[in-house]
Amino acid sequence: MNPQSTLPPTPAALPPKTGDPGASTGRGRKGPRSEVRLFAGLGHVALAVWAVIVIVPILWTFLAAFKNTSEIFSSPWTLPAELRWENFGRAWTKANVGRYFLNSVIVVSCSTFLTMLLGSMAAYVLARYRFWGNRAIYYLFVSGLAFPVFLALVPLFFVVKNLGLLDTHTGLVLVYTAYSLPFTVFFLAAFFKTLPSSVAEAGLIDGCGHTRLFFQVMMPMAKPGLISVAIFNIIGQWAQYQLPLVLLSNAKDKWVLTQGIADISVNAGYEADWSGLFAALTIAILPMIIVYAVFQRQIQAGLTSGAVK
Amino acid sequence: MATVTYSKASRVYPGQERPAVNELDLEIGDGEFLVLVGPSGCGKSTSLRMLAGLEDVDAGSIYIDQRDVTHLPPKARDIAMVFQNYALYPHMTVYENMAFALKLRKTSKSEIDRRVKEAAGLLQLEEYLSRKPKALSGGQRQRVAMGRAIVREPQVFLMDEPLSNLDAKLRVQTRTQIASLQAKLGVTTVYVTHDQVEAMTMGHRVAVLLDGVLQQVDTPRALYDTPANVFVAGFMGSPAMNIKTVPLNEQGAEFAELQIPLTREQVAAARAEGGDGKVTVGFRPEDCDLVSPTEGGMPVVVELVEDLGSDANVYGHAALGGNSERFVVRTDRRSMPNMGDTVFVKPRTGRSHVFHATTGSRI
Repeated sequence: MNPQSTLPPTPAALPPKTGDPGASTGRGRKGPRSEVRLFAGLGHVALAVWAVIVIVPILWTFLAAFKNTSEIFSSPWTLPAELRWENFGRAWTKANVGRYFLNSVIVVSCSTFLTMLLGSMAAYVLARYRFWGNRAIYYLFVSGLAFPVFLALVPLFFVVKNLGLLDTHTGLVLVYTAYSLPFTVFFLAAFFKTLPSSVAEAGLIDGCGHTRLFFQVMMPMAKPGLISVAIFNIIGQWAQYQLPLVLLSNAKDKWVLTQGIADISVNAGYEADWSGLFAALTIAILPMIIVYAVFQRQIQAGLTSGAVK
Repeated sequence: MATVTYSKASRVYPGQERPAVNELDLEIGDGEFLVLVGPSGCGKSTSLRMLAGLEDVDAGSIYIDQRDVTHLPPKARDIAMVFQNYALYPHMTVYENMAFALKLRKTSKSEIDRRVKEAAGLLQLEEYLSRKPKALSGGQRQRVAMGRAIVREPQVFLMDEPLSNLDAKLRVQTRTQIASLQAKLGVTTVYVTHDQVEAMTMGHRVAVLLDGVLQQVDTPRALYDTPANVFVAGFMGSPAMNIKTVPLNEQGAEFAELQIPLTREQVAAARAEGGDGKVTVGFRPEDCDLVSPTEGGMPVVVELVEDLGSDANVYGHAALGGNSERFVVRTDRRSMPNMGDTVFVKPRTGRSHVFHATTGSRI
């Protein structure tokens, strides 16, 4: 494939307009315009390569989900001979992916809700209220970003165990929430700082208390930021493997999707159901693509436009 | 409807020595339209925000209708504010923007509807009620901001430069609308502006501030005719008053060959408190005539003539005590001089303003 062929003409590549005095003198020289053109071209090539690297494995997974095991190994690069929908049925029921899917949905929706609620409230107060210790709390949150949670996996296991939350969804939800808060607070605090303070003042004068001001005025204005972070958190928590592996290991009925998929490849030994595995992977990937596609449309820059001149 | 009283109200921003508003004493009558005016950084917006409860009052107190509101939160003060940038809620429609405050006060649905429709009618916003602010023009947004204040039926309207984001023509139009709306509603209004034309045309009374200190508060007419000090004299009026500090003698002030006569009391007052034989005299551009060379005017070399259509502003300079000083004269278009001409300027008798040379206060 030739990525160059899909490039739209850059402004510099267009023929100069007649009557443009700068165009004639600039031609034939290696000026800044040709440099811009070069970098724009390189940028497009890099993006195209990146897109191929990301999209091809996903497409390959989708296609493999319709093949049978022998076809996957004999002709990995062809289209499936027929659409074997039964792979999905087998994964859903026999490998318990249905159950794990539901578990994942429960855990991720609870933890994302909690993360967004607590994160946005913390970020709002840290960004817009002056009080003693404000900076200290903010930096405490930010330092959480620099801390790899997997270093603390063993202590984390014992903390959760001592709380009696081992092998429960509640425990996992709380850990996910704590794990996601630093980035959420960091990102949203920056976002809340950019919101016009006169709108907040108008709310105060109109009779809002601080709570109502947050939920009815400021939070709706921060919607683009909230959605961006929510997508980031949903995808991150959906794909999480290590934490549920440690915290839910003994309760197979509570496993999340990633554990279930790993189980297909591990448990079956030499008789692994590879097509079922790819079907399960497809089941895991599709919701994220849908979530992204749906919410992406909501992220419009300038949601505050019209609020202030 | 209410009165508003500032009683020695001060605001010092953290980390600053000089107060942004220094012991402001101001009484605003019931139903009055008071304009706070001054150059940027003079404390006029801070004064308004103190009344709104958006800014702390560090000393003194503020009363609305004899009720001490100094430390009350904004929502307990029964005020409505129009912001310079309008500060509309972007996620709400025009209707919801106007209804929001009423909803918070648990006003009945029918009452909200009646008031919003009424305000929308008053401001010609009926057809935009279901739109979001981003789908409105600047002028329409400004009217929504007004409407949001009106539906509240508050005790006091606060307006913080509400016209400064409109274009010149719309500004003049909206200016008269706001003034007539205020007259119709009869709600006490405090209006902040840096535009002295707005101040003169809209206010029942005008308060002039400089560096956090109230300079003078009076009717526009009185402010214009009898400014209390040099700053007020120079700030009000466009083009600005010609104000010069010149030598003083027994009869009056010496403008080169021209003598501006002063009364004996004025001369005595000018000499008191270290007047140093000088006096500051001002006369407005429209308060002087261009006379023939024989009539004893001050010779001014014309640098620029602004033809305004109705009349003309003549800018020029004259030698005064060894310095070249600039003067402005408003004249009839028919007697408009040309650039480079020398004209003879004579202030009309009794229309000049006399100030103390060092204290700057009116004599």
